[in-house]
Amino acid sequence: MIPFSIDLKPGSPFCDQLAYAVKKAIVSGQLQTGDRLPSVRVLAQELKINPNTVQKAISRLTAEGLLEIQPGIGCSIANRPRKAEAKACAVLLHQEMERLVVEARRLNLSKEEVEKALTEHWNRISGQN
Amino acid sequence: MDINTIVTHDLTKKFGRQTAVDHLTLTIPEHGIFAFLGPNGAGKTTTIKMLMNLIVPTSGTSSLLGVDSQHLDPTTLRRIGYVSENQRLPEWMSVAGFLAYCKTMYPDWDDGFCARLLKQFDLPLHQQLKHLSRGMKVKAALLSSLAYHPSLLLLDEPFTGLDPLVRDEFIRGILDLTEAGEWSIFISSHDLNEVEQLADSVGFIDQGKLQLSESLESLQGRCRMLELNLPAPSATLPPHLPEHWRLPANQGRRVSIFETCYHEGETESMARTFFPAAEVTAATMTLREIFVALAQSYGHRLEE
Repeated sequence: MIPFSIDLKPGSPFCDQLAYAVKKAIVSGQLQTGDRLPSVRVLAQELKINPNTVQKAISRLTAEGLLEIQPGIGCSIANRPRKAEAKACAVLLHQEMERLVVEARRLNLSKEEVEKALTEHWNRISGQN
Repeated sequence: MDINTIVTHDLTKKFGRQTAVDHLTLTIPEHGIFAFLGPNGAGKTTTIKMLMNLIVPTSGTSSLLGVDSQHLDPTTLRRIGYVSENQRLPEWMSVAGFLAYCKTMYPDWDDGFCARLLKQFDLPLHQQLKHLSRGMKVKAALLSSLAYHPSLLLLDEPFTGLDPLVRDEFIRGILDLTEAGEWSIFISSHDLNEVEQLADSVGFIDQGKLQLSESLESLQGRCRMLELNLPAPSATLPPHLPEHWRLPANQGRRVSIFETCYHEGETESMARTFFPAAEVTAATMTLREIFVALAQSYGHRLEE
């Protein structure tokens, strides 16, 4: 069993999908600081994907500071970023925010509609419904 | 040092006047799963047979694990596994007998691994191979090729005719191999969903010629299906569209283009220079969609 929700769909690289699923599980609390991530072998077998792909996703998450590798033990969820680092993360979201605004404007959505949708998604993922 | 497990150079096979494989040059590095794709009759099986020295090339060379295909010796063959769609097995043997027979040829035969795979594949030990279903036979063939941890596994259309459950078991078996030591897998298949899950890199062969060979990530990164919604219907397409825009099709207000060289932002603005005021979307494509679009762009009508 894999301790987080994932539904791989063909079309975009599985490495991206796996990294995103782990990230989503972390922010939604499905995975918490200190939780162990299954090994590359187990993830590859369970998801029936290439272990190289799993390794790549894990390396990426480790580089982003979401996972930490403990030699001999495996991979676990790292401490969440503190506030100061959170500011740096907000800068990283710049691109996503811009894309959201562009798409919203293209579809003629109002700022209020976007904010409402954003709040809904925020609550859904944070489990505050 | 990186060792290339498969290298071919100008590999060519002619049957009479027909060229089945045409100057194929390919390099496949270690520790990866390479998917060899192409329409029926493209030359996939012929290529694999030349690699395995089952047929002799008209010209050109190939090597497996650094050894020329035409000089594959028993020591090298012990490190190679080969399962083909139409594998011929000694039908009169029982599963147990067949495995015992194979074991004698492979000093690296791993009884523990074999037992684990046997259980996983759920094969009846005492039944004769000829009484097994097709799926069971393919599993027996795969098991006999996995149990000695080959450094290189060649699979020719392994999933054909297998039900989804057996496919899953088969994939797990292949992934078992990747757990330790040296391994590389070369797989020719039409089952693109399975391949998309497994492959690191893909090669596409058409009419005997290798059309592309690159990582799956880069292929999926550069292929997009562009959809353009035009402000007014147009009967014609603008001239001089970029060459990497394939299969442009026009249905009134809607134009679709297979973009083979996608760059986020750049592609969209280029589309707007050819189609002013168009609404542009660039959709990612599954390997299956890419395969069909590529084959069509080489002039095939695929029966789907």
